Amino acid sequence: MTFRTTRRTLLGGAALALPAIWGRDAVAQIRRGDELTVGVWGGAQERIVREFCATPLERQHGVRINFVLGGTTERRARAYAERGRPSFDVIYLNIFESRQAVRDQVTQAPNANVPNFANLYPLARLGGYGVAFNPVTVVYDRRMVAAPMTSWKDFWREDLRGKVILPAELGAQGSATLLMAAKVWGGSETDIDPGFRKLAELKPIRAFQSSQDQLYGMFDNQVGAASVEFGSFTRTYAESRNPNVIIADPSEGQVVAMNVACITAGTRNQALAEAWVNLHLSPECQRAYAERIYYSPTIRNLELPADLSAKLIMGEEQVRRLVDFDWDVVTRNLQRWTGRWTREITG
Amino acid sequence: MGRTGGGLLALPFGIWLLAAFAAPMGAVALLSVQESSEMFAPLSLVPSGAQYAELFGDPFFMRVFVNTLLLGAAVAACCAVLGYPLALWLTRLPPRWKPIGFAIVLVPLLTNVVVRSLGIILLLAPRGVLGAIADAVGLPRPELLFTWFAVGLALTQVFLPFMVLALYDVLEGQEKRLEEAAAGLGAGPATRFWRVTLPLSLPGLRAGLIITFLLASESYVSAALVGGRKVLVSGMLVVKEGVEVLNYPLAAALAMLMLAAGVLATFLIGRVVALLTPWIAGRAPRVTLRLPPAPRRALVAVAEALAPVVSSLLLTLAVLLLVFPLLLVAVASVNDSPQATVAQFLGFTWRWYAMVLQNERYLSDAWTSLQLALACVAVSLAISLPAAFALVRGAFRGREALGALYMLPLALPGIAIGLGMLRLLQWFVALPPFLGILAVHVVLVAPFMLALLRASVAQLDRSLEEAAGGLGAQPVRVFRRVILPQLGPGIAVACVIGFLISFGEVTVTAFLTTARLQTLPVRIYAEASFSLENTVNAISTILILLTVALLLLVNRLMPLDRVWRR
Repeated sequence: MTFRTTRRTLLGGAALALPAIWGRDAVAQIRRGDELTVGVWGGAQERIVREFCATPLERQHGVRINFVLGGTTERRARAYAERGRPSFDVIYLNIFESRQAVRDQVTQAPNANVPNFANLYPLARLGGYGVAFNPVTVVYDRRMVAAPMTSWKDFWREDLRGKVILPAELGAQGSATLLMAAKVWGGSETDIDPGFRKLAELKPIRAFQSSQDQLYGMFDNQVGAASVEFGSFTRTYAESRNPNVIIADPSEGQVVAMNVACITAGTRNQALAEAWVNLHLSPECQRAYAERIYYSPTIRNLELPADLSAKLIMGEEQVRRLVDFDWDVVTRNLQRWTGRWTREITG
Repeated sequence: MGRTGGGLLALPFGIWLLAAFAAPMGAVALLSVQESSEMFAPLSLVPSGAQYAELFGDPFFMRVFVNTLLLGAAVAACCAVLGYPLALWLTRLPPRWKPIGFAIVLVPLLTNVVVRSLGIILLLAPRGVLGAIADAVGLPRPELLFTWFAVGLALTQVFLPFMVLALYDVLEGQEKRLEEAAAGLGAGPATRFWRVTLPLSLPGLRAGLIITFLLASESYVSAALVGGRKVLVSGMLVVKEGVEVLNYPLAAALAMLMLAAGVLATFLIGRVVALLTPWIAGRAPRVTLRLPPAPRRALVAVAEALAPVVSSLLLTLAVLLLVFPLLLVAVASVNDSPQATVAQFLGFTWRWYAMVLQNERYLSDAWTSLQLALACVAVSLAISLPAAFALVRGAFRGREALGALYMLPLALPGIAIGLGMLRLLQWFVALPPFLGILAVHVVLVAPFMLALLRASVAQLDRSLEEAAGGLGAQPVRVFRRVILPQLGPGIAVACVIGFLISFGEVTVTAFLTTARLQTLPVRIYAEASFSLENTVNAISTILILLTVALLLLVNRLMPLDRVWRR
């Protein structure tokens, strides 16, 4: 059986099962001429979803997919402002915001109406449909350290003294740094003090990076030895510009970050939105993510060549090793931590 | 002009603001007096000072607020100091080179903010250009990155064009004979600048100071990029509270404070310039302080000796500051590296250009942006030119106050307008998308054009109009044959600036973009939010080239200088 027929059968099944669950509001079937509005990032991600989600849906159902490109923050602000009467049908959020959005009834919790939901790792079933793992980890320049870095604790090694580059802000990288520092030195997200205390011990910090481009510029100029960054982008950087930069896989694990597809609460195109998400979770789409931008799949049923797999988070075992935090606690405290970060670490 | 003293001419501008700006402004004002910071709390109509109390009670907010205002003042001052030599240089360029000169001035406005910031970082980084120079001279490497200096430099770079263009028209239109007369009477270049050029150009300086101060005190993207976490400005706090924490009321209250400070500054700058230019209103000059002759002579001698060196030094600095990003962008646009950077050149490639030119989406978004910007400039010109006449020549009470009021959209941070629009989104999406975004863009652009046109109108030679009238020309004919030719360069400059602002706007547009209407900058921003590719630099290079072409065209249709004067 080819993939296409499987999908059609499954979609049909999903569409039949829908009215019972979603009541009268939702359109139970995909009708020719329907329009789906998707809020997503630009660049490579837009290209991939156009190819693997939009084009098949448009061909198969005669529907129209509208893209609203933008950054996560505007998208989220708009979705909140439009709660209950969304102009988006599907929005993409980060792990940070997605679970809160479900609780705030801005987006829907994931459910098995999306056939490929069954293939998702449990970690990717929270706050929507996780479509890609993109963990944050230790990255370093092998020329500037005495030995490979294999643990988050290696930042405190003697040979790295004064050579560490820290994230300037508590974004994905900064909070991962702080949370992991707390965790490996006996704290947690509810006991953050050890993190601040130990990170302050790293002073003098060589530099602070507030974007990937900035960090890679620093690596180009050998400003510092090690930092915390997304493995995926850093892999692209290392392969294209600086083979001395290594993406470490620390023994304590990499900190999970995830792109999440969220169906808005109150969408009038429920079935079409679910069909969209289902295509995003298809092996073809996930493979494109892995091959083109080194984002790791969130589904179990994808086989990749060994050399590519080695660069990703693949398989139950590795996914289990991803470090997840209670992001609600993090979100609630982020403002306070930001103040402390400014005073105690960057200041 | 009838009994209203010409005030009616200011009406269309006011009506547009009422229609398109009063609503988001009202939403922000209402949000700022909410008691509850809860995202989904229903709007209360009973005003509460809770948010303001929190702001005033928190020394952190107040410190950031005051620092930001100081930053704005410093940037405005730097722009003025660098802007004069540059604007004077521009007026002296031969006509055929003018478009190129303008293009140089406009480069920073045409480059992506992230790329520009990378340039500043490259310049100031410990191993950057300045560090290397310091090393070569034997000085210690300065720690400049992530400081107020870095932020100030970045902001000066991008807002300098506004100052130069504000000064350009008044300097270009100045009566050359006055300077010749001063020279004939024995005044050196420094004295001539101080006593003739500077006072006569004060209306332009006022426009430039207001614009640069407001823009600098509201900006936050550059500050975030080149200031690391060490430099905090009010705009960043509005974004943080409003868009990240979703505490709209607090963000709105802070935006209202920034608005109040901006209006106050606009008003003060206007008053000071009015005091210094009594001849415009036909008043007698106030008594000024004068030094006794001996020290004055010494001062003049020193100034005359230093003037040539200082002015060429400042000019060189200004040009380098403006052109530096161009260098980065042009190099990066052919760099065979997937990330936008210039620290390392990996090989030559045209593929970024190919990606831009083969991608119909870039082209269709660029087309949307172009239509939007052209429509926006047309509408803005139509409402701000009459308003400029009313504000300069009108004899009605509260003229200065109305002038400050019309600058409101400039004084309210763009991000706050965005937040206000979010509250109104359900009504906004009912409008045709093009019209909705056009209405908002005009609100953002018209105050700039008004500020510039006001300076141009202020320096019209009224005796020419009187002469034409005396010779029997009807008002329409006077306007077409006497006023319009004199205003030509001023209008051209205002239109170019208006066009570029609308064409590049992303802060507010990002909130309003719908599936049916997307502009090029929003697409670029969306791509940069994932990963900054070199396509950004290819687009910037193309835009710079297109701007040169556009300026050549404008120069044909509406000469950028007043050739007939010579």
